[in-house]
Amino acid sequence: MLLSRVAENLYWGARYLERAEDTARLVRSFTELILDLPRGVASSWEPLLAVAGSREQFDAGHLRAGENEIVRFLVADLANRGSVVASVAQARENLRTTREVLPREAWQAVNDLFLFTSRDTESGVDRRSRARFLGRVMSECQRLDGVVAGMMRRDEAYELWRLGQVMERADMTTRVLGVRAASLLAATGDRHEFDEVQWMGVLRSLTALQMYQRSHRGPIDGASVVSFLLYDATFPRSVAGCVQQMRASLQRLPHADATLPAVDELDGLLSGLPAQATDGRALDLAMDQVQLALDALHGCVHDAFMRGVL
Amino acid sequence: MSMAELRTSTDAWDELLDHEGNPRAASVELVQQLHTLGLSELQQRQDLAELDIVGMGITFTVYSDGRGIDRAWPFDVIPRVIAASEWREVERGLVQRLRAVNMFIDDVYHEQRIIHDGVFPADLLAHSVNFRAECVGVTPKFGVWAHISGSDLVRDADGTMYVLEDNLRVPSGVSYVLENRAISKRAFADVFQKQSILPVDAYTDELNRMLSSLAPDGVDEPTIAVLTPGIYNSAYFEHSFLAQRIGAALVEGVDLVVGDDECVYMRTIDGLERVHVIYRRVDDLFIDPEVFREDSTLGVPGLMRAWRAGNVAIANAPGAGVADDKVVYAWVPDMIRYYLGEEPLLPNVPTYRCVYPDELQYVIDHIEELVVKPANESGGYGLLIGNRATRSELDAAIAQIEADPRNWVAQPILALSTAPTLCDGAIEPRHVDLRPFILSGATSYVSAGGLTRVALRRGSLVVNSSQGGGSKDTWIVEA
Repeated sequence: MLLSRVAENLYWGARYLERAEDTARLVRSFTELILDLPRGVASSWEPLLAVAGSREQFDAGHLRAGENEIVRFLVADLANRGSVVASVAQARENLRTTREVLPREAWQAVNDLFLFTSRDTESGVDRRSRARFLGRVMSECQRLDGVVAGMMRRDEAYELWRLGQVMERADMTTRVLGVRAASLLAATGDRHEFDEVQWMGVLRSLTALQMYQRSHRGPIDGASVVSFLLYDATFPRSVAGCVQQMRASLQRLPHADATLPAVDELDGLLSGLPAQATDGRALDLAMDQVQLALDALHGCVHDAFMRGVL
Repeated sequence: MSMAELRTSTDAWDELLDHEGNPRAASVELVQQLHTLGLSELQQRQDLAELDIVGMGITFTVYSDGRGIDRAWPFDVIPRVIAASEWREVERGLVQRLRAVNMFIDDVYHEQRIIHDGVFPADLLAHSVNFRAECVGVTPKFGVWAHISGSDLVRDADGTMYVLEDNLRVPSGVSYVLENRAISKRAFADVFQKQSILPVDAYTDELNRMLSSLAPDGVDEPTIAVLTPGIYNSAYFEHSFLAQRIGAALVEGVDLVVGDDECVYMRTIDGLERVHVIYRRVDDLFIDPEVFREDSTLGVPGLMRAWRAGNVAIANAPGAGVADDKVVYAWVPDMIRYYLGEEPLLPNVPTYRCVYPDELQYVIDHIEELVVKPANESGGYGLLIGNRATRSELDAAIAQIEADPRNWVAQPILALSTAPTLCDGAIEPRHVDLRPFILSGATSYVSAGGLTRVALRRGSLVVNSSQGGGSKDTWIVEA
């Protein structure tokens, strides 16, 4: 038995935590990437805003788009609902009302993470301590994921948790592909000296570098990176991997007949894309479409589970 | 650190030490351990306990500037000790008291024999704000209305334990009893090994059993729900904690709906699911906007219909609060004699009832020596302690009492007992009370000990956590 209200809080709690982890990883990998690139190649921090999807909100509140301003906005700004600290705070608020369905250790992990991010917020901005702060956010999120994976019954609450997690994860992967990968593809008319480093940055932002290298022979190339992140369903952060998990969770939840068509829609979209994406503009547009399909699925999930129909 | 020094500073009864500063029989092991540890090690254990509390998310909510703030639960690491032999007497007294109180409530909503027989004044009932006409004629299972109660006990300077009030509506604190024990076992593992301290964990199992027994006839595996006002309620932590421990759904009013069949259902992701027993932590007036406050969004329209039809059990039953009133309290000893034909085992604090002109006059004349209390406030609100108030505060209180004497009682200022407490790096005596939890169904159960609340400010008698009080673990020790 799962209350509709609790279902909604679990789903959103999982989304916010995934968002916190993904944003932390994005900022950390970008920080490392910029250090590797010589001045003039790519020293702008603005692509981060585009991937996070918060360019407009940032512009409304800031005059200067420098490292400090952007990192503060994405990591430490409570007014930015997508920032790491705000995501953690919202996850905690949501999960406070789900304490009786989650393992007790899960609540403690969320609470620890919240206490840490609210106490040490500034260290997430300062370059000297940033990697450590963001690393801790990621590992706390993974601890929580481990608690859920290792201690929770595979019940409806578990499936809604997983569903929220992979919805958010797919969202991040498609944004990285649509912004970072697409702009690299578009710029590689003539091969660029630092391409490899840049593609490694793309993979790192999704913790995919090592797994990509295990699955791919030869040097890094853009087309195979895109293909890996889109289609390799054995990798849990690929778009196909996320969609597969969405389907698995929804099949184990009630109302599958109402929700699965939206997953079919996503699958159809993915299989309609060319196997080897090399056109940046086309990739960007395709990712926009996938995002719309994810929104549609979110709408179905909301209608099926969270309206508390009489 | 010398415990003996603690005794010079106060005339109150101390829970751990006798008047010479020697440990009482049940406290020998603990006091020994305190000496062995020394102040700095003790402080370390206090600090660790506080870290545990923050880490485990043990909180309560206070209201400030119109919003709820989650605060870490205040805990003092030095436990309060009660000898098991004394506790058994207290238990018997509490069970006796609750039996009589439940018979009173049931009587009040049926024949009102106690009024016809001239034991309880009719006009008190007529003016009671907690009497619910909507409950007249309803007979909950076992004739029990107050299933979960938390009577507050205090000890005077001579060591006598008194019942200070009966909390029969939605008493809170039991989750902290269990959490305090978990923490104090870490801090004093060695002492737990050396002697027999009664475990407290059985409470939630007993609660589960009692709630299940209330289910409508024919329901073997009832679905239980804990009804909470929501995340901003000061006791939300406890609501969630108890729901987890008894495997119940934690619901808010919006999660429930009463169907055309006058049964109560939860809104789940799979559709509607029948609920058989509701452990409600929402006040009477908010549980059903059809019957009580129309503007309540915390309740469930139709809940009273479902309850009256016998399709759902509600604990505590609506209307049980009629006996939870600082004025009605004064008659509990008479109820025990009237319904049970027994003498009360646990005394009431002597109480002056302003509804009677002679007692009112006494209160006005001696207000500096009295604590005056409004009938229906909880959490220590509205309470005035005569010897700590200014003349103008006293005059204002007298005016209030004279305007509505039925609503006021007064009691002598007790020298609440103390217990050694760690305050800013030193051990000092602080005043304490005790809230045990009593479960009443087909049978009765009393928690092993209860919640010891401590007034952390020097000399303060106010133990409520909403007003700066703290808590201690309570050890019932076989000595």
